[in-house]
Amino acid sequence: MIARDRNWLLIFAVCAALAVLYPLFADGYQLTVIRDALIFGLFAASLDFFWGRTGILCFGHAAFFGIGGYIMALITLNDAIPFGSVLGIMGAVTGAAFVAAIIGYFLFFGGIRGSYFTIVTLAMGVICQQAAVSWSSVTGGDSGLIGIPPIEFDVGEIHIDLSQDLPSYVFVATIVAVVVLALWSISRGRWGTVLTAIQDNEVRAAALGHNAPLRLLVTFVLSAAIAGLAGALYVCMAGLVAPDLSGLLLSTEVIVWVAVGGRGTLLGPVLGAIFIQRAQQMISSFNPSLWPLLLGCVFVIIVFVLPDGILSIYARLKSLFKGRRRAQ
Amino acid sequence: MSDVLLQAENVGIRFGGLQALEGLNLTVRDKELCCIIGPNGAGKSTFLNVLTGTLRPTSGSVRFLGHDIAGLPLHRIARLGIARKFQIPSVFPSLSVEDNLKVARWGVPSPERPLSELLELVALTDRAGTLAGELAHGQKQWLEIGMALAIEPRLLLLDEPTAGMTPQETLATAEMLLRLKGEFSIVAVEHDIRFVRALNCETLVLHQGRRLRSGPFHEIETDEMVRDVYLGRR
Repeated sequence: MIARDRNWLLIFAVCAALAVLYPLFADGYQLTVIRDALIFGLFAASLDFFWGRTGILCFGHAAFFGIGGYIMALITLNDAIPFGSVLGIMGAVTGAAFVAAIIGYFLFFGGIRGSYFTIVTLAMGVICQQAAVSWSSVTGGDSGLIGIPPIEFDVGEIHIDLSQDLPSYVFVATIVAVVVLALWSISRGRWGTVLTAIQDNEVRAAALGHNAPLRLLVTFVLSAAIAGLAGALYVCMAGLVAPDLSGLLLSTEVIVWVAVGGRGTLLGPVLGAIFIQRAQQMISSFNPSLWPLLLGCVFVIIVFVLPDGILSIYARLKSLFKGRRRAQ
Repeated sequence: MSDVLLQAENVGIRFGGLQALEGLNLTVRDKELCCIIGPNGAGKSTFLNVLTGTLRPTSGSVRFLGHDIAGLPLHRIARLGIARKFQIPSVFPSLSVEDNLKVARWGVPSPERPLSELLELVALTDRAGTLAGELAHGQKQWLEIGMALAIEPRLLLLDEPTAGMTPQETLATAEMLLRLKGEFSIVAVEHDIRFVRALNCETLVLHQGRRLRSGPFHEIETDEMVRDVYLGRR
């Protein structure tokens, strides 16, 4: 096993241990705060899986989060549908994947890459938010839908009800851990290596027999499906869904989380999401207008000083000291 | 003729008002080695682009094992058994040498040549873990030839394989190709005469998009007309 993989697993294990120990020290409110932050962390990991591996930035990823959220809300709020929570999650995941497949098909097979892709997905996000506002008979318009029930389902004989703080925290933390681990094993193996090759030189990869547009499309669809899952989880925990969840602001925030946490690390974006949301709550309680200013500054500093995110501080310091020692 | 691998017939291509190629014929038989030479701007790279299906000819046809390949997607052409080495070394700089070759092997259903043999063929065994972006220029060229070999082609098309190489590297590359001759067909586009002389194979000379001469290199080399347009400038 190469050192980079070992380090990643080590950091993953430390994070998992912290997540397990956290309920011992936290009260119910703190648990729900971290739980919600973890859901956004899952969302950030989904963007990173696509952006970090292909180098193509999707600027409308909240559209998939929102689509997942709305589908979940509509299914669970409809009393006629049995097993609402399970069907809702499945519907949210497939709905987001379906939209991504249609949009992605035309973009990838049409040769749209780079900034053009970013601009089209930006428009896609705006369209989704507008649709959520305008289609008020279904989506509830500006005020959205409220009263979404918590997730509940049966595993064999056991009935699982996530209306309490601790069970919902455990459920979300487990899903985040499993999905991040799965995405990591996909992206370090053959699939990820070929994606890196496509990022380096797509024509060359195609000349070696790789169907580059198809690979990019499948990666994009998988990424959108996970964003949809995160959206579905979030609306059940929050109890409401609103057009903001598919909006431009969230799309921008998730990019900042990924950039701060470290693009291409999967774990970094989860930590970035938690870290920035905590900071936002602390600073906003002190002075609400200070936050956007600080966030902007932090983003600029990260991009210039730590382009690989906060997880790279250790590696940076190490290479710095190595350089010093050699210079002496 | 059953052993004809690639057949280009009466190929012509026009870019706007410029007739870049006109009336070119080329037949490549199985396991044959041939070269296309010509001065700068003669249309060598354009012709190669037509042969690999990247450019669709405005007249004539290119058939590989009986399939018309013009306009097929790149990965389909690769899977038919045509490998290509680009003029500018285009390896994957952020992957290691080994991963570069792996990516190439993954493009085909069941590669037969082991990875270690590939590394040895292109003389990069001791650099397997190095990032391809950090290789010297000549080594990048070899790695790219290795990647083209990895997909186990029926036909290997090389666009100026020795561009930017030192004379020693050029000769080493020629030796490498002579070793591979007999495994599959090779078409090399080149303007380094030392390289073509070392290969000493069937040669097509292009000039202003047309065939000037064709035949074994030792005959071409002594041809007065070829000397005038091309060799004479040296």
